[in-house]
Amino acid sequence: MTHPWRALVACIAVLSALVWTASAAAATKVSFVQGEQNVFVTRPGDGLQSALQSLLAGPTAAERKTQIRTYIAPSTPVLSVTQQGAVATVDLGDTFVAGNNADTLNARLSQLVATVTAVPGVTSVQVLIDGGVPLGLFPGIDATGPLTVAKLRTPSVAPPPNPVTPSGPVTGGTKAAQQRLADLGYLLPGDADGRLGPATTAAVIAFQKWEGLQRDGVLGPKTLAALGRANRPTPITQGGSGRRLEVLVDKQLALAIQDNRVVRALHVSSGKPSTPTPIGSFKVYAQYPRWWSTPFQEWLLWASPFVGGVATHQYPDVPVYAASHGCVRVPAPNAPWLYRFLSVGDPVRVLATS
Amino acid sequence: MRRLRILLAAAAAAAVAALAAAAVPAAAQTPATPPPATMVPGVLTVGLNLPSDGFQVGAVSGTTVTFARGLEVGLAAAVGRRMGLPVQFVNVPVFSDIVAPGPKPFDLALAQVSITSGRKQNVDFSAAYLDVDQGVLLRRGLGTTPTTLAKLKPLQLCVLQKSTGAAVVASRVKPAKPARTYPGVTALFQGLETGRCDAVVYDAPTLAVLAAEVPLRVGSMAGVIATGERYGAVLPDGSPLVKTVNTVVRGLIADGTVARLQAKWLNVNLTTLKTLS
Repeated sequence: MTHPWRALVACIAVLSALVWTASAAAATKVSFVQGEQNVFVTRPGDGLQSALQSLLAGPTAAERKTQIRTYIAPSTPVLSVTQQGAVATVDLGDTFVAGNNADTLNARLSQLVATVTAVPGVTSVQVLIDGGVPLGLFPGIDATGPLTVAKLRTPSVAPPPNPVTPSGPVTGGTKAAQQRLADLGYLLPGDADGRLGPATTAAVIAFQKWEGLQRDGVLGPKTLAALGRANRPTPITQGGSGRRLEVLVDKQLALAIQDNRVVRALHVSSGKPSTPTPIGSFKVYAQYPRWWSTPFQEWLLWASPFVGGVATHQYPDVPVYAASHGCVRVPAPNAPWLYRFLSVGDPVRVLATS
Repeated sequence: MRRLRILLAAAAAAAVAALAAAAVPAAAQTPATPPPATMVPGVLTVGLNLPSDGFQVGAVSGTTVTFARGLEVGLAAAVGRRMGLPVQFVNVPVFSDIVAPGPKPFDLALAQVSITSGRKQNVDFSAAYLDVDQGVLLRRGLGTTPTTLAKLKPLQLCVLQKSTGAAVVASRVKPAKPARTYPGVTALFQGLETGRCDAVVYDAPTLAVLAAEVPLRVGSMAGVIATGERYGAVLPDGSPLVKTVNTVVRGLIADGTVARLQAKWLNVNLTTLKTLS
């Protein structure tokens, strides 16, 4: 004998199992930032609201350990979310644009646009702040209409100019010091031309970093004396034959190594304390002579990414300390050389201490 | 509706005055100050022309400003506080409407408007709150930095339509190629960032803010072209608020409020720039 209520209970059980399976299978893509690029992570749930909630919640502890980060404050109020056709409209409280830092404002926008347009059926998003269309809040980006990822991925700046070649006078003393820097692996032999310029300055800084001298890039008495008795740098770790790169975060130096011999030691600037370069063993996974940073809307030339958006790349400003968004900045005179030295698959080891 | 509110306010003021007269001796008596005669009673309506880096950026719905920040936004708030009125912003999308003849949707407008005798025929100005010259901002990778006005001649210069910069380029630089004119600052700066312009001639503080904010998108400031302009708040022609606003603006300069707002929002030192001649 069957009771009708039993059938009902069974029915509900089956239904809820179906719903549970559906929601367990549903996944949403959420955009964070790693190094200089947006990266997607997956979260359970589906739909716009769910994606936005996951975006505001930020990366997990495990993701944060690999330097995946968010620029959006978790307290950002979501005032309304609507969709008309393939255009989503997301109205956020002004917490979203708090602060006055051009970099982080554009990074927040890139995360929002990438996350919302990753929801199936949505191709663009109109961002509103307190119900209004943004005017001038995202430097260099016209956010008055619906935005697509393709638009943010389209470079809005002309590529940076080629570095200037040195034009100072040739001196014998400079040439001798340059020759010595080239013999030790700090300068390309072709750059030992007797003229002071960016290539020599970068080589001197690299030398000063390895030797623990003051990093001023000048061939002063202490640097010249050290140059006389120095040896070629040696790898910190042992590796197999072939090409590899060691990034020494404590020395802010990169060692380009072939068959366990340092071919060149390069002055670099890695991630600043708030956005450090992830420590660990990686492999170059792609190479781009010109890489456009979507979150920061800037050019990265001669880029060899080795994990997520973290790459070695040329940058106009390479200070003697850690200053980047997580990438390894290489000065203009050395960047094309390093790009050609590395190939996809080459090991990159980032070491905290050397 | 508005007339009723004014009447009520007048009645309240009269009552206060009567009470005051009854309570204190005649010698110490001060007439109760009537609330400033603003367009919307009890509110100071301030016109903006968004966006302008450093001065005013934000968000608008129609002409309603839903969010704004910047030097002039802070200045408006300070003026409102001094006048004892809450501030309501209204966006004027077309800059030239602010200085055109006719009725205005604001009590005063702050939009980097230079005080000129021509404009004074249409509108009233407050005392100046900022001294400005025209700046010359180069594109990235231009090569040699021009050091004189003559060296600007061969360059592709870009200006904002009907701006002081456009006038200065036409009358003092006289470029070989006609300057490109843009209807808005966003398009003007994009022209510079994408390399369509060699240099932009525009208000020096705004250009310096841009150069400091996005140093990798633009080149360096070549210098300034001295024009001796001064920004003032625009008031409708014949506004009864001119005297009050003048007193307030002078007070905000004297007590360092304007200097503090400059340091916070512009954060650039224009005195180190070369004057091109």
